[in-house]
Amino acid sequence: MAFYVLRRLAFLPLTLLLVAFATFVVLRLTGNPVDIFLDINRTPEQVAALSQRLHLDQPLPMQFLIFLRDLAHGYFGESLQFSGSAAGVVWQRVGATLQLAGAGLGLALVLGVAGGIACAVWRDRAADTVISAVAVAGQSMPSFWLGMLLIEFFALQLHWLPTSGYGDLKHLVLPAVTLAAILLPNFVLITRTAIIELAGEQFVVTGRSKGLSRGRVLITHILPNAVNPVLSFLGIQIGTLMAGSIITETIYAWPGVGRLLINSIFHRDVPVVEASVFFIATTIALANLLVDVLQMLIDPRIRRA
Amino acid sequence: MKRRPVLALAALLAPLLATGVPAFAAGTTLTVGAAVFPDSLRPGVSSYASLSLLQQTNDPLLARDNRGDLHPALATSWEAIDPTTMRFHLRQGVTFSDGVPFTADDVVFSINRVMDPTTGYAYMSRIGQVQSTTAVDKYTVDIKTKTVFPTLLRGLSDIIIEPKHYYEKVGADAVASHPVGTGPFVFQEWVPGDNYALTANKNYWGGAPHFDNLLIRTIPDGSTRVASLVAGESQIIEEVPVDLIDQVNESGSAKVDEISTTVGLVLTFDPTIKPFDNPRIREAFDYAIDKPLILKQILKGQGEILQGQVLTKGVLGWNPDLKARPYDPAKARKMLQDAGYDFNTPVPITTQNGKYVSDTDICNAVAGMLNQIGVKATVNIVEGGVFQQMSNAQKLGVLYMIGWYSLGDADFASVWYTKAGYRTKWVDPEYEQLFVAARSTTSEAERVKDYHRMMEILDQQNPSIFLFGLPSLYGVSNDITGFGASADKLLRLTQVRLK
Repeated sequence: MAFYVLRRLAFLPLTLLLVAFATFVVLRLTGNPVDIFLDINRTPEQVAALSQRLHLDQPLPMQFLIFLRDLAHGYFGESLQFSGSAAGVVWQRVGATLQLAGAGLGLALVLGVAGGIACAVWRDRAADTVISAVAVAGQSMPSFWLGMLLIEFFALQLHWLPTSGYGDLKHLVLPAVTLAAILLPNFVLITRTAIIELAGEQFVVTGRSKGLSRGRVLITHILPNAVNPVLSFLGIQIGTLMAGSIITETIYAWPGVGRLLINSIFHRDVPVVEASVFFIATTIALANLLVDVLQMLIDPRIRRA
Repeated sequence: MKRRPVLALAALLAPLLATGVPAFAAGTTLTVGAAVFPDSLRPGVSSYASLSLLQQTNDPLLARDNRGDLHPALATSWEAIDPTTMRFHLRQGVTFSDGVPFTADDVVFSINRVMDPTTGYAYMSRIGQVQSTTAVDKYTVDIKTKTVFPTLLRGLSDIIIEPKHYYEKVGADAVASHPVGTGPFVFQEWVPGDNYALTANKNYWGGAPHFDNLLIRTIPDGSTRVASLVAGESQIIEEVPVDLIDQVNESGSAKVDEISTTVGLVLTFDPTIKPFDNPRIREAFDYAIDKPLILKQILKGQGEILQGQVLTKGVLGWNPDLKARPYDPAKARKMLQDAGYDFNTPVPITTQNGKYVSDTDICNAVAGMLNQIGVKATVNIVEGGVFQQMSNAQKLGVLYMIGWYSLGDADFASVWYTKAGYRTKWVDPEYEQLFVAARSTTSEAERVKDYHRMMEILDQQNPSIFLFGLPSLYGVSNDITGFGASADKLLRLTQVRLK
């Protein structure tokens, strides 16, 4: 298994390189940072000076090579719009994003799995219908709309929570709920389906016929087997989570990497975009690896395959 | 050796544990919800929005007020000693927030820094004709320009004066992360993407602010910004979305304050694309657009209709004799038919989304109105960077939407209809001549006369459809007094009092 992990890690740089290349090409082809950066009254001397500083006077392949050379030294370049290195600028925002993504994912996972279990246990009864209906409704509600509703209700009507901003735990609640709402419905439905399918398996029937209680069968036989489908879904959804955090950060003025990324794209701040994309791609890749390893640990069948 | 990884890990994790609550000592705090947050505190770099933050800590030689009129700031008076030299007398007894006195050396240093092309100072062109700056004595500075330069004073109001000694001591990067100035507020903390925290400068030469702390928070989403105002988390918000004006006014806790900006929103033709070389066809399009309806329905009555010219009302050079064309779709259609217009010509309107108030909505309405007289108009929304690229290549298509600001002087907005401005392919020799003439005299009467004629040419030739002067909309809590919406979108907070 160690070999498997090492092999996966060895592929990580290749993935990142491809991501970096795609990002670089798209950004460079759709706009020139100098135009966006300097005032509309810019002089040719200013354009020349800035172009030279950013190596924009070089042909595009050369620019990419310069970028790669710097990257090999762990250097993304200086941010065009902030003072300091691009990696530093991104790093300042990483904490906020991880907090939000962690809280959102945790909430979605705990509530989603709990909801899914409840649905499966009371299958086709009132609880199942209500939870499934809420889940489907939640899934079809756009984040920005849900965000506005939550702000209106909890901040403006009840005055329980702040409307936006970054700070203590109170500030985290609404953004985390909004982000969780993107994933939660799927967790409910996946968990529900997994448990219902497993309930028909022979080992469950055997367990019941041995005289084990329904609860005992659920906890010791069904749930451990239901973990894997939920985990593999989670692995796939890390990307959705990161995308969702971009919207959520904008609604709640949360100072995370997602908003930084959008802002940097608008300014064609290529070093910061590259550094942000690197962070996000690395997070997704490592999270997927973690999920795979967990699945192997949990399920011997995968380990042997 | 063994401890190092632990320390490194602690250093890595530190940002994860940091919180966004600024560490104000005590006292009253004014919180502002900013719409467009600057990306950097580096003076002159990147967006105009940074000027709003920088002018809290640093003063220019001359400052604008909310209406755009100029007032003495770090310069108390000035006079022309010859047509290309202006002498400035500086305010005495002013100190920077680190205690060092402000002198002529700081002015010379700041302006030289702006004029150095390697600095990459974005607003350099505002004072682009400056040739040299010299200190006559400790409190007198002469600025010499290459040519007669009538907009020097107005240009200087965008240039903040920075401390020479501080740059020499810590370097430009450190200045950007911890500015020092003579302004009404003193820098405390800057959290990119989140907030800018300042404390009142009790020794401010213009009178100390009436509250202790200033927190400028970024809230990019319009409805969240309004929510934070209504919830009482912020006392002032920028850029109230027009569709939320009523919500603010009916909240009982805040009001919208509006002032006209000097931004003229226009739709510019490319006259090199046939048949738009024909001024009659361009004029017909103008008749087809119901501007009062758009102003009422989309802009909710805020702002103004441009009167056949790019300038907004009251700006130096604005021509009071011109009137916007009335809405007359029948006449528009007839004019097009008479001119032999091919109604199958595709007319894409290129615009950015969210750059100007209701830009996309206005384009959609215009396209709809053009469709009604049979013109095949569509709306083509492009992202900002792509728009810039198209603009540089002068390939924005038949019609594109843009806002030009004049900042109170016709020179700044009229340049975009000259060949050198490179933003329209329409060329008129008389207009070109007048533009140069108006730039080459300091006589205001002469300049105004030239601009009046230039505006007349714009009205007759229709290089653009002149739409609206855009409003600047602030949400202001009933808990404060002394705040006014500003035409140039710079926050002026020294007169604000918390109730």
